[in-house]
Amino acid sequence: MTRTETAPPLAGSVNHQTRRSIRLPAETGAAVALAVLVALLGWLNPSFLEPANLLSVLGQAALPGLLAIGMVFVLSAREIDLSAGAVFHLSAAFAALLMLAGMDPWLAGLASVAAGACLGLINGLLAIALRLPALMVTLGTWWMIQGLSLVVGKGQAIVPPGLDSGFFTTLSGKAFLMVPATAIVFVLLALVMHAVLHRTRFGYRVQAVGSNPQAAAYAGIPTSKVRLLTLVLMGAMAGLAGVIHVGTHGAIAPGEGSNFALQAIAAAIIGGTSLSGGHGSVIGAAIGMLILQVILSAMGMLGVDAAWSTFAAGALVVLALAIDRLVKLWRSRRVRHDQHNPPG
Amino acid sequence: MSDSPILFVRNVARRFGGTVVLDDMSLVVERGSIHALVGESGAGKSTLTKVLAGIVRPDRGIIEFDGKTATIDSPNAARKLGIGVVLQQPGLFPERPVLANLFVNREPLHNGLISRREMEARSRELLRQLALDVDVHAPLGDLGPGERQLVAIARALLENPRLLLLDDPNSALDQRRSERLFAVLRGLKARGMSMLYASNRLGDALAIADQLTVIRNGRDVLSKARQELTASEEAMVGQLRQSLFPLPFRTLPTLAGTLRPQITVEGLTGGSLFGVSLTARAGEILGLAGSGAQDLLALLFGLRKPRQGLVRFPDGDGLPRTQTEAARRNICMISGERGNGLMPDKSIAFNMANVVVGARDWGSRWYSPKAARGRATRQIEALRIRSAPEMPAGSLSVGCQQKVIIAKWLEIGPQVVLLDEPARGIDIGGKQEIYALIRQMAASGCIVLLHSNELSELTGLCDRILAFHQGRLGGEIAGDDMDAGKLLKLIISGKPADENRRSNRESVA
Repeated sequence: MTRTETAPPLAGSVNHQTRRSIRLPAETGAAVALAVLVALLGWLNPSFLEPANLLSVLGQAALPGLLAIGMVFVLSAREIDLSAGAVFHLSAAFAALLMLAGMDPWLAGLASVAAGACLGLINGLLAIALRLPALMVTLGTWWMIQGLSLVVGKGQAIVPPGLDSGFFTTLSGKAFLMVPATAIVFVLLALVMHAVLHRTRFGYRVQAVGSNPQAAAYAGIPTSKVRLLTLVLMGAMAGLAGVIHVGTHGAIAPGEGSNFALQAIAAAIIGGTSLSGGHGSVIGAAIGMLILQVILSAMGMLGVDAAWSTFAAGALVVLALAIDRLVKLWRSRRVRHDQHNPPG
Repeated sequence: MSDSPILFVRNVARRFGGTVVLDDMSLVVERGSIHALVGESGAGKSTLTKVLAGIVRPDRGIIEFDGKTATIDSPNAARKLGIGVVLQQPGLFPERPVLANLFVNREPLHNGLISRREMEARSRELLRQLALDVDVHAPLGDLGPGERQLVAIARALLENPRLLLLDDPNSALDQRRSERLFAVLRGLKARGMSMLYASNRLGDALAIADQLTVIRNGRDVLSKARQELTASEEAMVGQLRQSLFPLPFRTLPTLAGTLRPQITVEGLTGGSLFGVSLTARAGEILGLAGSGAQDLLALLFGLRKPRQGLVRFPDGDGLPRTQTEAARRNICMISGERGNGLMPDKSIAFNMANVVVGARDWGSRWYSPKAARGRATRQIEALRIRSAPEMPAGSLSVGCQQKVIIAKWLEIGPQVVLLDEPARGIDIGGKQEIYALIRQMAASGCIVLLHSNELSELTGLCDRILAFHQGRLGGEIAGDDMDAGKLLKLIISGKPADENRRSNRESVA
């Protein structure tokens, strides 16, 4: 789907041929899917294509999208973080409570991002100390953190005071009268973190550990540190999303963000990040989150019962996995076929 | 019953990815005979066994069993035909009792329930013949490796197959048990069972076989009856590997008086090692053989923690605490174990950056794909890897994969090179190139430590060999003493006194 291959015969050992491939960027598939989807919806309902509407979808995608950015790193390192949604909620509640206690909103926001990072650190330390996959550790901490946010929120929405202060007006503001501030943060961070994953030593290590942890350890890559840092990054991204949520919505209600972790994982998978580690695309995950949100908002627009939205999101993940898998199987079968009947 | 051969294999081929494992393999097993399949490791013996057992499907070729063309597309199909198999790595269940392992998936039933009593009754006689005296209700994991191997053999024999495939069945058996096994196999042959016996030990094959086929690079190069084998052919078979090794720059200039960098180890204890002292000097290849040698490499690379002992590396420091520290101190580890070295889904360029970018924490914080490509292009050229930097490393042949692993370490200019079976499972041509590389590394002033289970590899390549026996240093051979037989004796017995104690203990067990 995203690659075309030609096979010029290079001088090979024994009978073995090397193939050269011309690669399109890995995100092409997801981008095409998004474009087709938007075009289809615009054809069904031209008002969908209005910039205001498209930008509001982008704004909706921003918060879970921040989690998806962190999730790409975690998945690339062959881990998974189920607690991200709960971390999001607790950080938001923490920020709101600090503001209630009279702290400066910007400072409270910073403290909450740090709190999110700390929760990620705890996840990471547990995973490394117990030598467990993060999947199991975060399954436990997910419940714990969710329980904690219920305790601090007492089951009610937390509304910080001073909603007219600079913190809230900035975050809920719109640039050029229509671009939500959250969308700008999301797009900028996606671009920066994409570069971090593919162009820095840290990103290199994340992919190396995810591709083959054993080989990474044998090459002297500090695998524990890398896994720890990805989980801290995930926590910090979830914390940031939580703070921005408080800034834009002016409150945090119980239950908000509970499905963010799964949405983030879904977006990463749709965007081409491999669940078995080793490869990830932040931009792909951002596009994946847009696809998810476009479908969800389209369902509202077309009058489908909102209760179906969860089902649709799940079906989309299964579809993305199936397409990815089938393309891989088809490709490897073609490779073997070609080797038996070498062209020429 | 006709006299036609029981098994006819014609022009079977199979490749994995870019690696040709079986190229054009043919062979005939006569009824009621033992046919030995001899070849280097990596020649294709195990793959052929797996093809016949229905575990691996051949890409092409014809298999005739009992005069009829057979498609063996699953282990069950093989079982139905009457083919039993003992694999090199038998799929056993260490948590389950021995009995359960003997009757996997065909437990005798009594009133619909599995009958332990019947299992015991059926297996007792066979276990006695094999001299396997163990508690059949104990979990298999409690048994020693030799006993476990016998369990695997017993499992195959209990199916009463018409053709038995044995892939290196005595690799974990001592001399006494091997002979016992051979006696059982001969007895079964007398009762009409046919066998295909794959081994890389020519001596064993000659001892038991009626016919013999030599396999090399996935092709049969010689197929004869045992008694028709002329002395010169026998010698040829035995010397298959002699030309493999690069003629060493053996006449190392003995730098009298000058200080060569060296590693000194004193009283090192850790893992299965006990009180090991040795010195390894720059410019020589020091061979390590026997049990515990692998642990020494793990300790030197920081994969294991020592309990005791003093080690001094040429940079003046002791043992590295982690692999990362080792890599940063230019100590490198190249392991032949699959999966220890390569990221198969990533490009060659990515793999080459493993140490330079991944392990080090100095230099640029950025990962530059362009620099990585340049690095890869250079190494591909230097080591003749025959591919392009952006190709996934998994698409290479096994030999070239190993060269990628070596190249990524060459990038940092290693000072200490630890090699753990670096040429395992690689075809002969690839082996030759890797041996030449190892030679070069030593000649350029690296301290090279080489561990291998293939003794001829050690005797062919090393300047000195240290033999370990049960974690202790058993002895050293060098120069004209270099001979696989002597080395084997040192590994097995350590010292003559040791041997008596060991056999005493075994007869008690």
